[in-house]
Amino acid sequence: MRVGSALGHFERFTLRNGLRLLVAADRSSSLVAVAVVYDVGFRSEPEGRTGFAHLFEHLMFQGSAHVGKTEHIQLVQGAGGVMNGHTLADLTAYYEALPSGGLELVLWLEADRMGALALSEQNLRNQVSVVEEEIKVNVLNRPYGGFPWIPLPALAFDSYPNAHNGYGDFAHLEDATIEDAKDFYHRYYTPSNAVLVVAGGCMPEEVVDLAGRHFGGIEARPTPARRSFAEPRLSKERRRIIKDVLIPQPAFVAGYRVPDPISRMRDYAAYVVLANVLSDGDASRLRARLVHRDRSVTDLACVLGVFGNDTFTMRDPVLFQVVVFHPGIASTDSLLAVIDEELDRLAADGPTEDELARASASSASSHWRGLDPVLDRALALAGAEVVHGRAELVSEIPGLVKAVGGEEVASAAADLAHQHRAIVDLQPGGGS
Amino acid sequence: MASRRATSRSTVDGPEQSEGDAVARRPSIGPIRAPRASRVVEENLEGLHVIVARRPEVPIVELRLGFPLAADLIRKPAAATVLSDSLLAGTVRHDRAGLASAVQRIGGRLTAGIAGDWMLVSGSVLAEHLVEMLRIVGEVLGGASYPTSEVSADRDRMAEQFLIALSQPDVIADEQLGRRLYGGHPYASGLPRPAALRQVSAAHVRRLHAETLAPALGHFVLVGDVTPSRAIDAAAGAFEPWLAKSPAAATAPLDPLPAVRLGPIQLFDRPGAVQSNIRMARLAPSRTDPWWPAAALANLIFGGMFSSRLVENLRERNGYCYSPGTSFDHGRAGSSFVIQADVATASTAASLNEIGYELGRIATQGVTGEELESAQRYALGVLSFETATQEGLANTLANLAIMGLDPGYLDRHSAALKRVKRHEVDEAARRLLARLQMVTVVLGDADQVGGSLALVADVQHRPLSVPE
Repeated sequence: MRVGSALGHFERFTLRNGLRLLVAADRSSSLVAVAVVYDVGFRSEPEGRTGFAHLFEHLMFQGSAHVGKTEHIQLVQGAGGVMNGHTLADLTAYYEALPSGGLELVLWLEADRMGALALSEQNLRNQVSVVEEEIKVNVLNRPYGGFPWIPLPALAFDSYPNAHNGYGDFAHLEDATIEDAKDFYHRYYTPSNAVLVVAGGCMPEEVVDLAGRHFGGIEARPTPARRSFAEPRLSKERRRIIKDVLIPQPAFVAGYRVPDPISRMRDYAAYVVLANVLSDGDASRLRARLVHRDRSVTDLACVLGVFGNDTFTMRDPVLFQVVVFHPGIASTDSLLAVIDEELDRLAADGPTEDELARASASSASSHWRGLDPVLDRALALAGAEVVHGRAELVSEIPGLVKAVGGEEVASAAADLAHQHRAIVDLQPGGGS
Repeated sequence: MASRRATSRSTVDGPEQSEGDAVARRPSIGPIRAPRASRVVEENLEGLHVIVARRPEVPIVELRLGFPLAADLIRKPAAATVLSDSLLAGTVRHDRAGLASAVQRIGGRLTAGIAGDWMLVSGSVLAEHLVEMLRIVGEVLGGASYPTSEVSADRDRMAEQFLIALSQPDVIADEQLGRRLYGGHPYASGLPRPAALRQVSAAHVRRLHAETLAPALGHFVLVGDVTPSRAIDAAAGAFEPWLAKSPAAATAPLDPLPAVRLGPIQLFDRPGAVQSNIRMARLAPSRTDPWWPAAALANLIFGGMFSSRLVENLRERNGYCYSPGTSFDHGRAGSSFVIQADVATASTAASLNEIGYELGRIATQGVTGEELESAQRYALGVLSFETATQEGLANTLANLAIMGLDPGYLDRHSAALKRVKRHEVDEAARRLLARLQMVTVVLGDADQVGGSLALVADVQHRPLSVPE
């Protein structure tokens, strides 16, 4: 395939305090994006403090040594920019994108909160309320809220980091203290535990100067030791039925384990292709059969990761999820039997050459579309650098997918078919 | 790919500088460069309006095909919904899976859907395969066959999907607001009902295809790594059988939106709800009204950006709400302005009171010069973002075309935003943000919120019908 540009290209620098800087300059752009990604997510939050990593993300917008509450956002938007943050299992990202004349302002803002966050009791209480409203909007007040990303890990895993609810229990959120926030900040928000990416309309030399000026003076602190989240695969199938009065039709998710994406990326890529062959597009195996032929399913998807946008920004263990919404014409068991049958068929015969070619072409296409927005480019590079230690991975993904052969997809299908899975079965109605 | 440590340069590791030097002083922002211009070429192909913009940054081409819907299809949205969902169910040459495979094989993506008062076919493809993609689109436009069995399965599946959509509180609130705001206008219909979807026939959909997806009614947008003249020639060839079809009657213009009948707050009961969905709305200027730029800026200052008065109040000061906001909805028949806030049940009346206070404050006291400057820069920045990517530019151009606006509108609007004076925003705030001009709908646990709401407004309890 012709390479139309070099959007995945970057230069890498390291400041003396350990902060890594990647610059992906694209001088044709009048916009610039800045991403600061810290190597801490909700899997690392302390026991008894579920939801703390995400709550802390909110506190990062509440002011720092030279920036008042709400001022960060006023300044970025007042410079014509957009900004936000998000917390995933293994990382927390902060980002801005704006006309390139605002680059130094944004670097200054990010450095100020990396170096000297301002924490106050009043702002903590306010953001606990805001987070609780966020959880009500997205989970408690909404049919299918939090499905499957909250109940599936709770069933599929036993250890606290993997199993707990990353949005958090209200009791834990309300117990959070300023001391907790100071400890968390001191431990995880160190320069050497972060990656700074500047992408788009900028000059690398200038970015290096500005980054040095604003981030260089931040005190070096020890990089937190990273614990392993590994836990064994299930020794027998687990199933949980959840009754929900809010939902109009049933849904279920089956969660399977896959190889470690860090140490076995080539193997992991086979599961990415498997997901595509099973559920991507009307010709995919599960969609063609269950949605269009049997007409027993309304919608389905195969997802690698917690949310699906984190396929390449998660460490082991990662779940391969088959998520199914259906009108209840067929039982959960009979639908699971079809999934098993299709996995067995792929395990025995492998995918067709055409299926592999289609997976490869659609992966290349979504790769380019995904890198076109300068902000998404910055976030992809930062996420890969934090989790894999290699932002180069971003450019390599289409090649990795293309290199996957039929036998590897067959092995991946066999692995899913033969392991014990966790099934969360959501049923309309009361009780539990 | 360069990989080097730059520690040899003192500037990288910086400060020997002291506080109060570079670190304490907030950097100023440089001038905002104009977004890179795109050359946009327009052409008329047998009545089909074609718009092509070259954007070679990534080797992809984005395609959009927009068709306005007739008033009757907006009033009864089930048929158009099935039309769009079954468009890709098969052609004379391919079945559904065959079409999907052909698209995927060239790194393509192709979907169809209803966006309010128009139908949008949307796709993308690896640039080297554009011609093949155009052939597939042409085959669908000229020969979608709507197999009876596929249509009946699709309509049942859509019924299930809309059952799920209509169970979401934000959707229910928006539906009730639409009815309240638009009265007898087709826009009041909102989303299709499951029962209506189950009655749509394949024969009806085939007839609608000919009436709705007619070349003379359509706007075709191509953005990406293309040479415009070559892309237009390729489209002319690939669409030939479809373009040759007899021209359809023009879609009649929609009736303008009727004046809103004001009245008490409508409270819809959702027992056990842990939040209330508050919606307030009124009619608004369209994008061609002279006071539109000032109204757009007044909106940003009031609630249309994160650093707005409404977010500062409801979220950052009071913690009542995660993501309050305001926005405009521009349709072919007219425009409306909506305030939305999903708030804690216990804070429902207090939130409504705060929204009323902020409306009154901006309408009577206007805005500050600093607020205006921020809003102007934000508006220009957002315009840059909307047109900075292939996908964003394609969506923007298709949207403008459906509304009857030419691509040059973007530059004119940018220039107009820059020229707006403070007194014009104050005047726009008086016109747009007058509290007593709004209709209000609340969806929540009526037992819990009804009493306190009655302290701050006239409240009418309304039954909530379950979608069939």
